[in-house]
Amino acid sequence: MSETAQQDSVRPWRLADWFVRHGRMLVIGLPMLWLGIFFLAPFFVVFKISVSELAIARPPYLPLTSWEDGKLILTLNLGNFQYLIEDSLYVSSYLTSIRIAFFSTIFALLLGYPMAYVIARSTGHRRNILLMLVMLPFWTSFLLRVYAWIGILKANGVINNFLMWTGVIDSPIVMMQTDFATYVGIVYTYLPFMILPLYANLAKLDTTLLEASSDLGARPLTTFLTITLPLSIPGIVAGSMLVFIPAIGEFVVPTLLGGPDTLMIGRVLWSEFFNNRDWPVASAVAMAMLVLLVLPVMWLRRAQSQQEAG
Amino acid sequence: MTSKPSPAQDNPWQSDNVKPFIRIRNVTKKFGPVAAVDDVSLDIYKGELFCLLGGSGSGKSTLLRMLAGFEEPTAGSIEIDGQDMAHVPAYERPTNMMFQSYALFPHMSVERNVAYGLHRDNVAKGEIRQRVADMLELVQLSGYGRRKPNQLSGGQRQRVALARALIKRPKLLLLDEPLGALDKKLREETQFELVTIQETLGVTFIVVTHDQEEAMTLSTRIGVMNNGKIEQVGEPREIYEFPGNRFVADFIGSVNMFEGIVTETEADFVRIRSKDADCDIYVSHGVGCAPNQKLWYALRPEKMEISRERPDQKENFFEGIVEDIAYMGNQSAYRIRLKSGMVVRLTRTNRDRGEETPITWEETVFVSWGPSAGVVLIA
Amino acid sequence: MQKTGFLMRFITVLGFVFLYAPILSLVIYSFNESRLVTVWGGFSTKWYGELLKDPQILSAAWISLKIAFTSASIALVLGTLTALVLVRFGRFRLRELLNGMITAPLVMPEVITGLSLLLLFVVMESWLGWPSQRGFTTIVIAHTTFCMAFVAVIVESRLSDMDESIEEAAGDLGARPVRVFFDITLPTIAPALVSAWLLAFTLSLDDLVIASFVSGPGSSTLPMVVFSKVRLGVSPDVNALATIMIGAIGLGVVIATTLLLRQEKKAE
Repeated sequence: MSETAQQDSVRPWRLADWFVRHGRMLVIGLPMLWLGIFFLAPFFVVFKISVSELAIARPPYLPLTSWEDGKLILTLNLGNFQYLIEDSLYVSSYLTSIRIAFFSTIFALLLGYPMAYVIARSTGHRRNILLMLVMLPFWTSFLLRVYAWIGILKANGVINNFLMWTGVIDSPIVMMQTDFATYVGIVYTYLPFMILPLYANLAKLDTTLLEASSDLGARPLTTFLTITLPLSIPGIVAGSMLVFIPAIGEFVVPTLLGGPDTLMIGRVLWSEFFNNRDWPVASAVAMAMLVLLVLPVMWLRRAQSQQEAG
Repeated sequence: MTSKPSPAQDNPWQSDNVKPFIRIRNVTKKFGPVAAVDDVSLDIYKGELFCLLGGSGSGKSTLLRMLAGFEEPTAGSIEIDGQDMAHVPAYERPTNMMFQSYALFPHMSVERNVAYGLHRDNVAKGEIRQRVADMLELVQLSGYGRRKPNQLSGGQRQRVALARALIKRPKLLLLDEPLGALDKKLREETQFELVTIQETLGVTFIVVTHDQEEAMTLSTRIGVMNNGKIEQVGEPREIYEFPGNRFVADFIGSVNMFEGIVTETEADFVRIRSKDADCDIYVSHGVGCAPNQKLWYALRPEKMEISRERPDQKENFFEGIVEDIAYMGNQSAYRIRLKSGMVVRLTRTNRDRGEETPITWEETVFVSWGPSAGVVLIA
Repeated sequence: MQKTGFLMRFITVLGFVFLYAPILSLVIYSFNESRLVTVWGGFSTKWYGELLKDPQILSAAWISLKIAFTSASIALVLGTLTALVLVRFGRFRLRELLNGMITAPLVMPEVITGLSLLLLFVVMESWLGWPSQRGFTTIVIAHTTFCMAFVAVIVESRLSDMDESIEEAAGDLGARPVRVFFDITLPTIAPALVSAWLLAFTLSLDDLVIASFVSGPGSSTLPMVVFSKVRLGVSPDVNALATIMIGAIGLGVVIATTLLLRQEKKAE
């Protein structure tokens, strides 16, 4: 056939063609490179330093490899990890972190579920305004909002002044620098993270299911317990993990509101690094913290994919 | 297999010396292990309005998307107007597509939507203005140019999508369920508009649809697809009256299917014994089959007669009880249970008003048909 | 529609009080004459005056704004590219790796992100001689890295909601991929890009922990200065600063909402 000859004619090389052919690689490569260098590589560095020895030097640790008598010597110092297990300070800070994160999550759920439910059941303008009110604090400085609680909770703060003025108490209640203040601060900070996924889940709930349930004779409470609650489990898991995970590593809240014995891992890591300048131990603490987060992160991902699926 | 009357027409697909405009050769498209399109070969001629008809998952849309250049075939070749389309991206093909969702650019006015393709070809401004105006007139949307897509009705959006796809004067226009989103009444009107526009411009159309009525009304030829394969290609009448196999007979229109065994086969007639039908079936033309071969006899509901009296013939009739009658205005549908247990569907045009003693429920009736009413199917 | 119970609504009101009481108290006490923060000494704006005279706060605020602007802008580009790759590029090798690297920063404790990036910078300095000094650049890199994850999530969800056939339609009409992106994709996801940039800006402006790790001498950000002030107790000029920030954000929300409403009206 005569047309076949035309197909072989060579087209002139154009820059645009080059982009079409190689643009894909470029677009994939750029974020890949950035994240590879500034997100992935740092973990290898942290791991490396967590198995090296502390030294009074700049930077304050010894290299892993050395060259002696023509032999390459690789020194892996697991002492940092051993130290974490043996010193009760670290073990108890882990347990404290888990305890505080766990109960904060429960409190946030108890407060956040009704809020998400009420917002999801309201309509139109009202729903948008309520949603905006949940998100608005998130846009204002987190540090300043935690700071605001100092003025409210301290001995001559808003609450104590009010209670003493009304005569309910004679002397101020100690609330600042306690675990209580830490709970308040964490629940307060992460409440929107609980509400938003729950809201997304509850808003998707088909209301005819609720109507069908009541049509079949279920009272509102029964309907809630047998229909709404089971269907919102992915939302509950997602919201809970979004509170639990950052709460584990929280630094600002326990430092500003907690007492000297409110030892959370984030705070321990900070002081190992900034106060003791023990980089290897700080790195070991970071590695241990990562291990702690593996399970919650897996739960979160599963809940999120369930949410998306329907 | 079925012998059919072939009226001597000058259709390109019946002539040996007209070159096909589109050649699809052994095209296969796999998504993972699943073949969405399985070894399809098809020729389509210039000026045709060809319908790909099939259910969801039949591969019709995938085939269309390969013609548009959104999917690459896993194997096989596609040629449009003598040019091989392998590795030619969508933006360099001489085809345009009208999408099922219309895919109008929501942030552009109707004019800018329609002009988009011409801007990509760097057509002069004045010419663009003229061609857009002409095109909007053709689809009866003059005066709507400044509106945004969300300010139009469904039917108007459909016409914008058509105008946008036609403005580059493509050699081939691909339409994915073009009328699917319209309501019934509008769909009927638009069908005829579409045919008029196609005839005016002389562009080759390939339409994907799941609606057999739409396919019948619109097309010059229909390709029935199932499981990634083309079951039959033919003119609408051919597909309906002479389906090539049981799938096509069942898919197009409604049909009663009787399984039977060949008892006599001659050059000019065949006799079949069917347990389903509880009678002998006489077919007044030859069929390429052997005695004792198992085959099927397909009989459409409107090709039968119903009466209270036993008909005066030896074969092609059976006795049954009226199980159900549905009155549908222009016609009535009867469900008749045979002794074999099979239920036959039959329709009858309501010619008279106020029949005195209409056939009613639980009555014993006789159903009969002529020797050329049904189709013998081998597969 | 099912009615919500009394208890539910009561807790909801309580929740909103809990969310807004601290903010309200900050605003009220910023106008307090008395240095003793919780004793009302009459209305005054003197802390605002003092705040504006504090060179340390002012320079930190300026640095923070510059960092937030730069890192939000870079994060917008990189995050959008990532989202585009994940949603539109189909399967390719290392796709799962990219997906993991972009979602992990969302759940990474700040102390770990901060520590690991600092250690990276230290190692890079000893190997490559760069960055020779920590400060603006290192904070921007750190903020870009965690902000781009948030950008990617927002853009990704918008992109997957988008009807892909309108991009195909543009390609079908003769637009090359880059052209399709600028003509069709970009205008469609523009609102998501705006909110993603704003979120990235806010996150960067707000960050204390990561910046503390990777900053160097002379590059203290606003949160770092505020933190060192409030660690020692309540200070009234921080109340004034908080009020200004809340006011600015409130104003921003009002403007954004009216613009959005006006656009919706126009569309009708």
